This record gives sequence, structure tokens and C-alpha cells, in this order.
Amino acid sequence: MIAIIEQGIIIGITGIGVFLTFRILDMPDLTVEGSFGLGGAVTVGLIVLGLNPIMALLIAMILGGLAGLITGLIFRKLKVHVLLAGILVMTMLYSINIRVMQGPNLPIPITRTESKLTNYEDISGEDPLADLFGDLEQEETQKVVAEEPQEQATQKSEIMNIFDNLRDGSDLFTILVIAGIIILILFVFLKTDLGTVLRGFGSNPEGVEAFGMSRDFISIFGLSLANVLVALSGGMFAMYSGFADVTMGQGMVITGLAMVMVGEIVFGRFKPLFGLIAPIIGGVVYQSILALVMRYGYKIGFRASDMKLLTALFIISVITFSMINNPKKKKQLKGKVKSLCSSSKI
Amino acid sequence: MLKLENITVIYNQGQDNENMALKDVSLEANKSDFVVIVGSNGAGKSTLLNVILGKLKPTGGQYYLKDKAIKKLSISKMAHLIGRVYQNPDSGVFSNLTIRENLKIASKKGNRGPTFSRIDPKALELLEHLKMGLENRLDTVVGELSGGQKQALAMVMAVITNPEILLLDEHTASLDPKSARRVMELTKMINEELDVTVMMITHNMDFAESYGNRKVEIKEGVLKEIPERQTTAVYAM
Repeated sequence: MIAIIEQGIIIGITGIGVFLTFRILDMPDLTVEGSFGLGGAVTVGLIVLGLNPIMALLIAMILGGLAGLITGLIFRKLKVHVLLAGILVMTMLYSINIRVMQGPNLPIPITRTESKLTNYEDISGEDPLADLFGDLEQEETQKVVAEEPQEQATQKSEIMNIFDNLRDGSDLFTILVIAGIIILILFVFLKTDLGTVLRGFGSNPEGVEAFGMSRDFISIFGLSLANVLVALSGGMFAMYSGFADVTMGQGMVITGLAMVMVGEIVFGRFKPLFGLIAPIIGGVVYQSILALVMRYGYKIGFRASDMKLLTALFIISVITFSMINNPKKKKQLKGKVKSLCSSSKI
Repeated sequence: MLKLENITVIYNQGQDNENMALKDVSLEANKSDFVVIVGSNGAGKSTLLNVILGKLKPTGGQYYLKDKAIKKLSISKMAHLIGRVYQNPDSGVFSNLTIRENLKIASKKGNRGPTFSRIDPKALELLEHLKMGLENRLDTVVGELSGGQKQALAMVMAVITNPEILLLDEHTASLDPKSARRVMELTKMINEELDVTVMMITHNMDFAESYGNRKVEIKEGVLKEIPERQTTAVYAM
């Protein structure tokens, strides 16, 4: 259960990014699909190069923000529809992520962590390669390990990752602290003058100009901020999983949207901290549902690969139910679709 | 205050669908003027407003604001000089924010950073002047207000920072008669007591007759001044 909560909170941070673009800015941003992977690739790539994981995460966040900035520039300055701008950057990031990792995936090079009970050695007390290489090879390995001071090995594992996968609550504490800091900073920011304008932007983008702020700036800033969070989430997810993969961001927009919607269902009209907590709770609920489906779904012929189909169907059903319950929303949505179609230059 | 000299706007110039929206338009509005602009749909009223707001660069002519020729003004500078309220009550306010947050945004025009500003006390005075009870509902989300209340709030927001000019584009068109009258009284108060130059586009001939010290008509892109007491007759033609 603790792993579900940990993973839920980590991807819940992506949910906050999606919440910023979809709900606050009213801008569907697909960059998320690439920036989640970028966060993972850069974090793991820099850790492999020997950088401190916190520094690696910070650099990943900056680069995620840069990805959002590029989407914003394509959208506002080249007048390309925001959806297409996001797809363009997402496509670019696919290649960039492979370059960063020098391959389709990259593991964090921790060969052995004392605390992990998932290692064959820890469970069986034997070297899994003993049969292949014989006793001589095993003895040599033991000698190398024995020569390495215990403290140094522990220190090495701490430097390589902020998570130890111990399931003893230490990872959960770290994740909660990071998520708490992020929510607190965002909450305070959204109360500032700039943050208030950002929150108002979604309901009246033209109005922002009437009060002396550039629409371009707010759009670009909002997209950058959202992708900073997504890259952080991607970096944390990669560290938690022990590797980064080029496909790790696939479907993250839909997953993020599902988390936002689940959170909104849980909280209803009540929006604590401007609704920033909802995606985190949504993330935990989403991961719980995912775990249940994985555990019991096979009995009805369900496969892990069906999860994205179910997620998309879930979003469609939430939209359908909200429209049935709220005819005003139906009218708004109709107008929005019309304006999206007409404003699209490409 | 505001001076337009021989402004011409041609859409799609040099193409088959070329359209002259404004022809040699000249207009001068002085401090405290209340200029009522009438004209049928497609006459060029909105084009004129877009030129004044700097959103549209005229094909020809000169535009002066406070005796300075305007080529290009920053969004921030323009917001300081010109307040604006449009027909749709939702276009002048931020419906998802509270009245307090809306007033906070309007109290500081121009670029903002991660700072914490306070509501300009003048905003609360203006709200009290409205006698709509909005000053006691500062934490109400604006989306819950009526169209008239939203439009009145939009007007207060437009004038908090003392703009030189207030542009009104059919700002009472979507309101019921009672709310429309109340908003017009507020417009008059802003013009007379705050000394703000008002330029108002309207299709409502009662308002065109009753308010404003100058009336102009735009017809097929040509602007002409209407002498006092002839507004209805000219518009009916």
C-alpha cells in the first residue's frame, strides 16, 4: 500500500502541472508527454555522470521549464495552435531524451543496495551467477565487495538516489516533503499579484491585456511553470523506479487529466489551496485503482496494456456525466470546441 | 487629450476583397468630454476603437494621445491611459475570481511580479457609490453576480487607476433596462466626478439622447459630428 501512495504522490505532481494548464490556464498542453520523460532522462543521465540527485532534479526542472517555454513561444509567437505546439515539442523531446540517455532507457547504476530485499543475493544468500562462472568467480567477487568499506558503499547508494525503496516510510516522508514544499510554494505564488492574474487568465485571457499584462507572457510563463513540475515528477519517478525510459511519458496527459478529475470528484466544490491538493489525492486514488486492476483484473481477461484505454474511457464518462448534470457546462463546452476549431490556424 | 487626424483603415489592401473600414476619420476629444458614437453594424465603430486601443495600425493618418503621436504603445502603457468595457459582462471581469481578487488585479495596471498588492481604497469607495452592496460581498466569486453587477464591477475596475479615457463598446447592450440605467448613471458619475473622458458606442437611442455632451455618427467608414438635438433624426435615417 505504501508504494501505491508513494507513486500516487509522485505522479500527482504531474497532475498539478496538468491542472495548471488545463484548469487554470485553460490550455491543453501535450508537452507533458515529452517533459515527463525529459525529467527522467536528464535526472538519471546526470546521476550517471556523478551529479548529486537533488542537483540533477533541479537541472531537470529547468529543462522541463525550457520545454514549456518553447511550446509557449511556438504557440504565441508563431500563432500555431497550442495542441500542435505541444505535439511538436513532445516529438522533439522523444529524440532528445534518447540522445540524453544514449539509448531508449537508462538505469541508475546502483548495483547493490543493502536495504533492498529484491536482490537475489539478499533473498537466497547466493550469487545468481555462481553456477555460470563457478566458485572461482564468486570468490573474486566476494573479495572485491569485502575490500570496499561498508560505509563507503552506503554513502555511494545515498548519493545515487534519494529513494531507497525500503517501504519503511522514509521514501514516503521524502516524497511528502517535496510535494508539500511544491504545493506551499505554488499556493503562496498563486496568491501574489502575478499568481492572481494567472488564475484569472483562464476565464478571461483578453481581460489580462486590458489590465496591462501581456497575454503572451502569461501563456508562456504558465506553460513553463507547468512543465517544471512535470519534469520534477518525471525525475522523481525515474529515481523511484531506478531507471528512465523514453516511453515513460506516454499517456501522461490523459493520466494527469484523470488524476485531476478524480481529485475534483473527491473534493467536489471544495477547493483547498486553490485545488492544488486535488491532483495529489487523485494520483493516489488513480494508482490504487491501477493496482487493484492489475491484481484482480486478469480474472476477467484484463491486461496491463488495457489501462490507458480504461483511463481514456474514464475521462469520457466523467465529462459525459458532468454534462448531463450541468446543462450550462454543455453550452460552455460547445462554445469552447467551436472557438478551438475556429482559432486553429493550422 | 485624444486626436485622430485623417485616419484611414483598409482591410486586405491590394486584394480582391479590399475593404475601406475608415475613411479620413478626424476626431478630437478633450478632457472630460463624453462622446457618444452611433452607427449601424459594420459602419466601422469597432475598427475605430481598435485604432484608439492601438490594436490596429491605421493604413493612413495620425493618432495623438496627450499631444504625443502614437506609433506603438506598450500594453502596459495603454492600460494606464485607456480603460475599456465591452458588451459581454464577462469580458471585463475574471469570473472565476472573487470581487476582492478582481479589484486587486485592477488596482495595479502594468507588469506584475510575485508581490502582494492591496486593493486601492478608491475601488471600495466606487463600489459603495454603486449602492449594489458589492462592497459587503468582497469574497463572492464574480461568476455568481448578475450581468448588471458584473458590468458595474467591470467599470469600477476600468477606472480605479485613473485612466485618461474610458472606452465603452455597447456596454449596456446585454443588460436589462433597470441594470442598464444604473450602469449609465455610473458612467455619468465617472465622467463628471472622476473627470475621465468617456467615448461610448451605443445602439440605444435613449441613452444617446440623454447622455454625453457630443455625438458623432459613423456611416460606411465616414465620421461626422451630429449637432445637438439631432441624434434620433440622424440615426433614424
